[in-house]
Parts: sequence; C-alpha cells; structure tokens
Amino acid sequence: MYSAIHSLPLDGGVGVDACLVMTSDPKPRLRWTSELHERFVDAVTQLGGPDKATPKTLMRTMGVKGLTLYHLKSHLQKYRLGKQSCKELPDSSKDASCIAESQDTCSSISSSARIGHDLNDGYQVTEALRVQMEVQRRLHDQLEVQRRLQLRIEAQSKYLQSILEKACKALDDHAAATAGLEAAKEELSDLAIKVSNDFNEMVPSLSEITASLENKNASNLATRFGDCSVDSCLTSNGSPISPMGAASQAAALKKRSRPFFVNGDSVPLESSVRQVEWMMTNIG
Amino acid sequence: MKVPFTTQTHQSPNAKVRTTSFNEPKSVLDLVRCSSPSPAVNKPTPKSEVSALSESLFQSDDGSLHSEDQILNNLEDWDSLMRELGLHDDSARIPQFNHLDSQLLPEFPPSHSVVPTDFSLSSDQFHNHNFNSVALCNDFHHMNNDDFHFVDDLIRAADCFESNELQLAGVILERLNHQLPSPTGKALQRAAFYFKEALLSLLTGSTRSTRSSEVVQAIKAYKNFANVSPIIMFSTFTANQAILEAVDGSMLIHVVDFDIGFGGQWASFMREVADRAESRRVNSPSLRITAVVPEEYGIESRLIRDNLNQFACDLKIGFEIEFVLVQTFEFLSFKAIRFINGEKTAVLLSPSIFQRIGAGFLNDLRQISPHVVVLVDAEGMNDSGTPSFRRSVIDGLEFYSTVMESLEAASVGGGDDWIRRIEIFLLRPKIFAAVEAARRRAPSWREAFAAAGLRAVVLSQFADFQAECLLSEVQVRGFDVAKRQAEMVLCWQQRALVATSAWRC
Repeated sequence: MYSAIHSLPLDGGVGVDACLVMTSDPKPRLRWTSELHERFVDAVTQLGGPDKATPKTLMRTMGVKGLTLYHLKSHLQKYRLGKQSCKELPDSSKDASCIAESQDTCSSISSSARIGHDLNDGYQVTEALRVQMEVQRRLHDQLEVQRRLQLRIEAQSKYLQSILEKACKALDDHAAATAGLEAAKEELSDLAIKVSNDFNEMVPSLSEITASLENKNASNLATRFGDCSVDSCLTSNGSPISPMGAASQAAALKKRSRPFFVNGDSVPLESSVRQVEWMMTNIG
Repeated sequence: MKVPFTTQTHQSPNAKVRTTSFNEPKSVLDLVRCSSPSPAVNKPTPKSEVSALSESLFQSDDGSLHSEDQILNNLEDWDSLMRELGLHDDSARIPQFNHLDSQLLPEFPPSHSVVPTDFSLSSDQFHNHNFNSVALCNDFHHMNNDDFHFVDDLIRAADCFESNELQLAGVILERLNHQLPSPTGKALQRAAFYFKEALLSLLTGSTRSTRSSEVVQAIKAYKNFANVSPIIMFSTFTANQAILEAVDGSMLIHVVDFDIGFGGQWASFMREVADRAESRRVNSPSLRITAVVPEEYGIESRLIRDNLNQFACDLKIGFEIEFVLVQTFEFLSFKAIRFINGEKTAVLLSPSIFQRIGAGFLNDLRQISPHVVVLVDAEGMNDSGTPSFRRSVIDGLEFYSTVMESLEAASVGGGDDWIRRIEIFLLRPKIFAAVEAARRRAPSWREAFAAAGLRAVVLSQFADFQAECLLSEVQVRGFDVAKRQAEMVLCWQQRALVATSAWRC
C-alpha cells in the first residue's frame, strides 16, 4: 500500500473547509495564506519540529486537499531556513530586527554588519550568505535544467521527424507494384512445380494452390478459377484431370493473369503460364 | 417531481459518518460512491483519494454495512472503477434529464439509491441545485448502469477466463461486440473496446505482425503523442537523466534497452553526451546500445539502426547498436548480450519485458554489474503481489481510460482523429500485451526487484527540476509530478500514469 501521492480528504471539524487559494495567474500557484501557514506550523509542531517533519508526514497530518509534496517541500525548506537563522537568537541579546533580516536575505548582510560584536554575529552573516547562495544556486540550476530540457526535446523531435521520413520512404518503395508482381510470380512457379512433381497429388494440391491464390488475389479473380478447379477435380474422380480441364484451367490462369500487372509487363508470367499449360497438357 | 424510493431506512448511520469523514462531492457520482458498500477494505490497488476516502468511510461504517457483505464481488470493483474514472471530475457533466425513471437495476442494493439525504450537506445547499436531487441520483444511476453495462460484462468475461469457462466467455464477448462495436464514445468505452478485442484475441489466438504501413502510422502517432502529452517526454528524459548521472565520466557507455520503442530516447541521450563532452573539452565517449526486441520488430529495428547511426554520425559520437531477440534472451539471459571490459553499463527496463518472459532474469543482473537499472512503468503496473486476471483487466481498463482521458484533455476540439490513431497504433498493442501477460499471471516486478537485491536510488534534484520544467511547458492542465517512495510519478488528475525509478545492485 503506497502512501498517498497527493490530496487526502479533509479531516477538519464540522463545516471547516480548508480550501487552497490559488493565484489567478495563467498557471495557478499556491498562495500560502496565514490560515494555511498556521495549519502548517501546527502540523510541524505536532510532528516534533521543522527538522523532524517531512513533506510526506506533513501532508498526511495537514490533510489539505490539493496540497502536493512539492508545495510542502519548498515551504518546509523556507521555514527551516527561517528557523535556523533564528536559532541562535534566544542565546544572544538580539532583538526582533534580526529575525526580520534573516528572512530578508538581501538586506541581511548589510544589517548584519551593523550588529554588535556578539559571537553569533559571524554566524548570522554566514547563514544569510548561505541562504542567499542557496537561492541563487537553485535558480541557476533551474535555468540550466530548462536549457538542457529544450535541447533534449529538440533532439528527440528531430530524430522522430527523420525516422518518420525514412519510414515513409521505405513504405513508398515497398508499395510499388513489383511487390504484388513478385508474389504472383512466385505463386505460379509453385503451381508449375507442384504440377510437375507428383501427378497423383495434383488434385488436392491444385485446390490448395487455388485456395491460397484466392486469398492473395482479388476475390472476383480467383472465385471462378477456384470453382473451375474444384469442379474438374470432382468430376474426374481422382483420375488425372482431362487435358480439356487442365487446358481450360491454364487458359483461365492466363486470362486472369492480366489484373496482376499494373505496368502491363506480363512476359515472365506468360512463360510460367505456358509452362503450366505444357505440363498439364502433357500429363493427360 | 419526486420519485418515491424505499430506502429511507438506510440513511441514518451513514449520515453521521459523512459529516466528518469527507469532502464535498464534486458530482453526483461521488454520492453513489460514498454510499457503496465495500466490505473488503484491502483492495489491491488503492488509489490515493479512494483509499483515504474508503478508509475514513469504513472505519466508522461497519455497523450499517455488514449486511452488504453478500454483495457480489464485482460491485466493489465496479465502484472502484467508476470512482477512479474521473466520472467525478466534471460537475458540468451532470446530465439534465427530461424524464424520470425510477427503475433501479437489480444488481445494485437499495442503498445505492440512498443518496442525497445521506449526505452531510445541509438541505439548503441541496435545494440550491436546480434539480430534484433524489430523482437525479436515481436517474443518473440508472443511466450510469445502462451506459456502462459493458464494464460489467467485461469483468464477467474476465471471470470466465479465470475459471476457464471459455465458451461462456465467448458468449459474453459476442454480446459485448454489439455493445462495443467500435472505439467511439467516452474514454472508458474506448478502452473497454480494446480490452474486449484483446480478450477476443485470447480466444481466437490470433497474432498480429506489423506491416510497414502500420509502422509509419505508429511513428506518426508516437510523434503526435510526444508533442501533446508529457507522458513520453517524462518517461524518456527522467530515465535518461538517471542513466547519465550513473555513467557520467566513462568513455565507454553500454545501455541494455528492453523497450526501445522507436529509439528517440537515445537521440536525446547522445545529444546530451556530446554536449557534455564538448563543454568539458574532452573526447566524446562512445555509446553502445543492445536492444532486446521481439521477433516481429524487423522493420522497426532496421529503421532504428539507420536513424541512430545517422544521428551519432552527425554528432560525431562512436556508436553501435545491436538487436537481440527476446526469445534468445529468454533462453540465455544476459549471456545473449555482449559486454566489454571497462564499459559502464546501464539497464533500462519496462513492464513489457516482464510481461513477455517474467522477472526471473533480474537475478542475473548482478553478474553484469550495471551502474544503474532504470525502470519506467508506463503501464500502470503498480501492484505488488500477483493480481488475479479479473483484477488486472479492471486495473488495466482504469489505467488506459485515464491515459485516453489525458489525451482528450489535450484535444483542441477539432479533429480527434489523431487521438484515435494514438489509441490504435500505440495503446492497443500495449493493451493486448497486458491482457496476454495477465493471462499468464506474470509476477509483480516489485517483488522480483527486491528478490534480486536491487536497492532503490533517489532521483536527483536535476530530475526533479526537469520534471517540473516539463510540466510547465505542457499545454495541458491537470498533470502533476509526485514522489512515491523512491519513484517519480507523473500523474494526471492525481492518477498515476508513469512511474520512473532508479536502482542499484
């Protein structure tokens, strides 16, 4: 069982609806209202402080719908940093102004410089600097990521475009009439071989071939042919197909060979057909 | 117009519970969901909203709902399905009825119709709506059942497969053919259509092989998919980042890819590798890819080889790609793959290889000492444990209809043709493979990973930022990235779509 990715239902009291306030930007961002922040702080305290709390446990504890781990992660980090800078304060004689300046990293350095020479002085400065560097580093990283992402997307798109083009081209080449032509030629050569091989097997093999031819070619083409061969097979009762039948089949073959060709190049096929004819007539 | 209904008695125990335990309903269907009895709380795949919802619901509800224990199992599945399927997400979808139909379908217990008065909202709020809520709920429920009756049948068919009543399965599927004649309608309906087809193909045992025209269509669809949805980019770039970090600095990189798709990921990877080398002013490393592919991948393999070679040549990176058949790999495991001393190896996995040959080969991973093993799960295999066939079908149905919905969200309202193409050429084969694998009861990868001694590695901040950045680029609203244990998960409307994770031996 996995812990919830997002949005748990509300666990608030009767009638309390903690809704998330989103900004009205085109891309809505979460606004940490004081109410929401209060809930956050409560949850953090409940979990034992900002160091012990994690975004995941916070999400569970807060139970606010729509609040994601990302929201909590960044808010917790800010909270922690804020807390850290203030950590030393109770020990020192610093006042509220120091709390304010640690939150505001820009002025923190200059304000820190004006602070007295307590031991925590140096620490304050370092903290503030660290926070500032952290923020800058993060920004820089994000920009870098964005840049790299653009390049990666570009590379993938370019590749997909080129593979698509190559695939289309391959398809066009493949779809030439020669493909159909080769198939037909092969089928008829098979027919010739089978006819010449074993005479007794001619009956079933012819119907096999016609059946396979039927599948490969246009339906109107093969149906009559198929019927032809079956009829003649049946009528001959297993005896060799009469030359008449065979000749008519070969003739039928020849007649129907035309539609195979788009280019009108029928020479090789004719020769196979003639070969079949010859074989058939010679068998009888 | 009030519709009389007889179930007033069921309400009171529930009413108290509702007050404290959950959110305002976003639509009428929420009401249906909430009042559903679901005796088994430990569903194998709880999605976040539902699990939390049902937990809070049933912790206090046991008194009133025990009587519902006798209800058929498929009711709870039905409900989880309906709830998950975003039928709740658009309150504008509440239909306006011209007529009322108070007939309740027999399968559902009377409590289902106990909806509005159960509810915690004050009656004022309810009267603010422009309809008679009671009637609407009844009606919606009825319409609900009519419209989605096919889901029920699909589940029944899955049951038949499980109990090996193949003839009965055939009968149900035949009936489904009439209900789902084509992939049209809502996402759920379209997903159901493809699942029906997949179940049918189990019966007829038909196999499909790709022809070159289909490959072109598939590439086109993939390209569109990558443009409109962050799913592909999230998958590839997160994985790439994890691999890059692991093999960084090596002059010899070897990637074993079990689900190469069309190879686009490696073009991006190569670009990155070349750029890094350039910025560091060192020689580019050379990249070797071993892709484990199914037998029928001939055309695609040729295309991928040609194009990746070309790409590498342009970037001046040493490159080599080899293809190994899944059948060979199944037999020989990693011995089927060539490894070279001194290279850093990365392994990229996806559920498809587990679907085909199981997860046993993971135990051999240690022998090849990969620097990283990345798993990209874009097929909703989130379960641990081996789910039943019916469960797999239901989960799959949920998952793929979510994907389709997320696609629809990107639609600009014009031609939805491209969505259909993506569904046919990209999603359909996956659905078929998933159903087949479910039939074979392929074990969960999670257990296999643990058994093989793989430890999850947290993904870097770069990957985080990248995912965020990606989402901000995407035009479609509703996508989200979250972390779940060590995985980074791309979600759509809080439903997981892609889960990426990195592991080490």
